[in-house]
Amino acid sequence: MTIGSLSRSTIRQAAARLLLALAALCTATTTQAADLTVIVRDSSGHPVPEAVVIVDVPGRTGGAPTELIINQRDLAFVPFVTVLPVGSTVVFTNLDPVRHHVYSFSPARRFELKLFGAGERRSVQFDRPGLVAVGCNIHDQMQAFIQVVDTPFARKADAAGRVTLRGLPNGAHRVRVWHPHLRAPGNELVVEAPAGSATLPVSLRLRRPAPMQHGY
Amino acid sequence: MRFRSLQSRITALYSATFGLVMILVAVVMQWAIADSAENKVRSELAASAKMIDRIWTMRGNELASVANPLALDFGFREAVATEDDETIRSALANVAGRIDLSNAFVVRYDGRVIGIRPGQDRAYDAELWQQLDAGWQSGALRLNGTTFQAVAAEINAPALIGWLVLGRELGANEMRELSSLSAVPVTAAVIRRTGEGGWVYDTSGQPVSRRGLSDLLARMKSDAMAAAEVETERLDDSMVLVRPLGTSEGTASTALMLEFSIRDALAEYDFLKLAVLIAGALGLALVAYASARLARHIVRPISALEQAARSLAMGRWTSVPVTSDDEIGLLGKSFNEMSAGIAQREGRIRHMAYHDALTDLPNRLQLRERLEQMLEATVLDGGELAVLCLDLDNFKITNDTLGPQVGDKLLKLVAARLAEAADGHFLARTGGDEFCVVLTGAAVAEAAQTAEALIAHLAEPLTIEGHFLKAGASIGISRAPDDSMVADDLLKHADLALYAAKAAGRGRACRFTADLDQEANQRRAVEVDLHRALAKGEFELFFQPLFDLASNRFCAFEALIRWRHPERGLVGPGEFIPIAEETGLIVPIGEWVLKEACHQAMTWPADMRVAVNFSTVQFQSAGLRNVVFQTLATSGLAPDRLEIEITESLFLESSGPILEILHGLKEIGVRIALDDFGTGFSSLSYLRRFPFDKIKIDRSFILELLREREAGAVVKAITDLAAALNMETTAEGVEEFEQVEALRAHGCTNVQGYLFSEPIPGAEVLPLLDTEAARRAA
Repeated sequence: MTIGSLSRSTIRQAAARLLLALAALCTATTTQAADLTVIVRDSSGHPVPEAVVIVDVPGRTGGAPTELIINQRDLAFVPFVTVLPVGSTVVFTNLDPVRHHVYSFSPARRFELKLFGAGERRSVQFDRPGLVAVGCNIHDQMQAFIQVVDTPFARKADAAGRVTLRGLPNGAHRVRVWHPHLRAPGNELVVEAPAGSATLPVSLRLRRPAPMQHGY
Repeated sequence: MRFRSLQSRITALYSATFGLVMILVAVVMQWAIADSAENKVRSELAASAKMIDRIWTMRGNELASVANPLALDFGFREAVATEDDETIRSALANVAGRIDLSNAFVVRYDGRVIGIRPGQDRAYDAELWQQLDAGWQSGALRLNGTTFQAVAAEINAPALIGWLVLGRELGANEMRELSSLSAVPVTAAVIRRTGEGGWVYDTSGQPVSRRGLSDLLARMKSDAMAAAEVETERLDDSMVLVRPLGTSEGTASTALMLEFSIRDALAEYDFLKLAVLIAGALGLALVAYASARLARHIVRPISALEQAARSLAMGRWTSVPVTSDDEIGLLGKSFNEMSAGIAQREGRIRHMAYHDALTDLPNRLQLRERLEQMLEATVLDGGELAVLCLDLDNFKITNDTLGPQVGDKLLKLVAARLAEAADGHFLARTGGDEFCVVLTGAAVAEAAQTAEALIAHLAEPLTIEGHFLKAGASIGISRAPDDSMVADDLLKHADLALYAAKAAGRGRACRFTADLDQEANQRRAVEVDLHRALAKGEFELFFQPLFDLASNRFCAFEALIRWRHPERGLVGPGEFIPIAEETGLIVPIGEWVLKEACHQAMTWPADMRVAVNFSTVQFQSAGLRNVVFQTLATSGLAPDRLEIEITESLFLESSGPILEILHGLKEIGVRIALDDFGTGFSSLSYLRRFPFDKIKIDRSFILELLREREAGAVVKAITDLAAALNMETTAEGVEEFEQVEALRAHGCTNVQGYLFSEPIPGAEVLPLLDTEAARRAA
C-alpha cells in the first residue's frame, strides 16, 4: 500500500541507483556493495511489522524529496508509520466524515492542522531529519509516526518483519531499529552488523500499546 | 483417696463431679470464646481490610481524577513535549495547591524530572522511570525516605513522552486515620521491603520481626490487592493482615499491615469468664453444702444406729430416734424392735436364771449374790444379818404318796405362806423343799422367834386336792457377823444348824454353834481318812453266823465291815458309815464289801449263804444291779447264796425306781432281806409291795422278849405275818438260850447273836463251822 502510493519516477530513480551500486560492487571488491536483511521479531518471536530499520552511511545522504499521503480514515492515520526522505511533503487527507485536529509537538517538525473537515487536504513539508509523532487532538487514539531520514538505507519492515537494505557498502554498520512501542529511549535500538553479514536478526522488547485511560 | 466417713465420701464425690462438669464447661467455653474471638477478629480484620482497600482506592481515584485530565490537557502536553518547564511547573503547582499534594511532578520519557517533590535523587529517578515504564500506575511510592500514595498518568503527544505523578504523604497521621476508620481496634502500619529483602516499618525503619510474617509476605503477590479473598494470619497473639500497596512487577515492596490483638478481642469476654467462674464457685459451694447436708441426713441416723448397736452389743439396751419414714427410718424402727426384743428376752433369761420356775421366788444363785451384797452393806453400816435355812419335814413322803402335782402345789402354798411370814425380808427357794430367808436390821435380834413363827405358820393344816396336809419344817439359823461374814459359810452354817434341827427331832429351829462346825470338821477329817482307807485297804470284813432253828446248824453269815484304823485301832461301822453315806463314799465301800463277801463265801461250804448290808445311797447310784451281777459272775458265787439286807428307810429317803431294782436283783436269784423290822414306820404296806425273802426282827424286841409279854406278842405277830407271806424271819441280838427256845416256839426260822458267835474275822469262819460240826457230831 505504501509502495503503491509512491510515484513511478521515484521508483525508477531508486532502481537506477541500485543498478549503479550493484555495478560498483561487481567491479571492485573493496568498494563492492552488499544486501543486508534485518529480521525484526519481538521477544516472543513474532514478526514486528512497521519497524523501521535505518543505517547511516557517512557520505551517503537521503534520496530525492517526495510527496506522500497520510489519510485519516476510520479515526486512524494510514499508514501508521512512514519513512520519509528529508524535504519531502506529506499530504494529510481527511477521508472521515468528522473533523480532525492533526498536530505534532516533535522537535523535528512542529505543526498544527486545526479542524480540517471531510475531504480536505493539508500539506506539511518535513525539512529536518528526525521522528515526528503525529496525533489528533480530538481523537487521542489516532497516532502516526513519520521517520524523516537523511540516508538511502532506511526502510519499513513488511508484514513478516523483514527489511532488506540493498547496496550497503561493505564493512560493519550501525543499524538503528525503531518502533513506536519499543521499550528504549527514543524507541530506538542500535545493533552492530558485523562486516559481511547478510542477515541480522533483531529481537525487540515491545511495550503493549498504552491504554488510553488511567485508573485501577 | 480413701475416706473414713461416708459423709465426706459422698460430699467429695458430688463436689468432684460438679467441679469436673464446671471445668468441662469452662474449657468448652474458653475454646468457644477463643474460636469465636478469632473468627470475629478475622472477619473484622477482613472487613477493615476491605474498607481500607476501598479508602485507598478512593484516595487513589481522587488523585487519578486530578492527574488524568491534566495529563490529557493539550496545552500541558504541548508544554511537556516542547519542554516548556516553567509552564509545567506552574501547572503542577496549580494542581498541588488545589488538592493539597506533597508531590506533583512530571517524569519525562527521556528521564528528566520536572515539578514539585522534596529532594533530588538521580538514582531513584532512574528507578522510578523503570517502574513507570513497566506500567506502574498507582500505589505507594517511596521518595527520599518518605512513602507516598501516588498515581501516575501517561502523557502522550500522541506517543508516550512522560508521566505525570501525583502523591500524598503516607505518614503516621494517615495511618491513624485509617485505623480509626476500622470497626475494631486495628493497628495499621506501612511496611516496606529493604534492599536486602527484609521488611521494616516504614516510619520507624525498625525491622518487622514477627514470626510467620515472612511466609505471609512471601505469599503476597503484587496483584493480591485485587483479590477478593482477604488472607489473615494468626501470629502469636495477633491476627495480622497484609495488603500490598501499589503494583509493580514481582512482589510488592510496600505493604499495609493491619494488626489486631486477639488478647484485646478476648478481653471483651473477660467479664463472661469471670461470671462463669463466680457462678461455678458458688455452684460448687452450693453442691458441697447440699451434698454434705444430704450425707449428714443419711449418715447421722446410721452412725446413731452404729453407736446403738455397739452399746447393745455391750449389753446396754438402747433405742435410736426415728425421724423419717424412709429406708433409714425403717431401719431405725427395726433396730428398736430388735433391741426391745433382745432386752425382753434377756430380761426373761435373767429372770429365769435368778428365779425358781415353780414358785417364782429367787433361786439359790440370786440368794448368793444378794447375800453377798447384803453382807457388804452390813459391813458398811455395822449391822447384823441372819440366814434362816428352812427344810420341809417328810416332804418326800407326801411327794411319793400323793404324787408330784400335789407336791408342787404344796411347795407353792408353802412359798406363799413364807412370803407372807417373811414380811418383806428376802426369801429364796434354794432346793427341792428348801427355802431360805435372810433377815436384816432389827429383825436379826428376833431371828429365833421369826423362825418359830415361820414353822408355826407353815404348820397350819392345808387342803390340796382333797388331802389334808401339814407342812412341818425345820430351820437352821446362822448369823453375821457372829458366825461368818462369808456368804457361802453363812449358808453352810445355816445348813449345819438345819441338820442339827432335823437330828434333834424336826419341827424346830436350831441356831448354829461352833460345835456343829467342829462336828462337821471331824466328819471332814473322817472323810479324808476314808478315802485313804479305801485306797490302802484298811477295811476288813467280820462275819456273824445265822443259826437255822429247823436244822439246828449255821446256815449263813452276815458280813460286817470293820475299819482297822492305823491310829484308832478297829473302828465300828457306826462311826464311819453315816459319813460315808453323806459323802457318797459308801458306794465304792459297798462294792468292796460285796466283792469281799462273795469272794470269802466261795471258800465256805456250798450251802452257806452270805448276807450283805446295802445302804440307801447305794440304791441311788446307777448300775447297782450290774455291780451285783458282775460280782457274782466274777466270784462264781451262786446268786441264791447272796442275801442283800436293806432297811425300811430305803423306801423313805431314796427316790427313783427302788422296787424295779429290787425286782431286778430278785430275778437274778439274789435273796432280799428287810433289816431292822419293827422300828420306824414298819409300814406293812412295804411287805405287801415287795416279796422279801426274809424279815429281820429288830434286836430291841429280842432284848425284851423274855421280860415283856408285849414284845413276845409283837415277835409272834411278825413271825406269823412272815410265815403267812411265805417269808423267813431272823431274830437279831440273841444272847440267851431261853430266847432261842422262845423264838423257836414263836416260829422264828433263824436266830443271830452273841449266843452263837460274835462277829469273827473271815479266817475264823471255817474253824467255827468245823467246831460246830464237831459239837453236833458229839
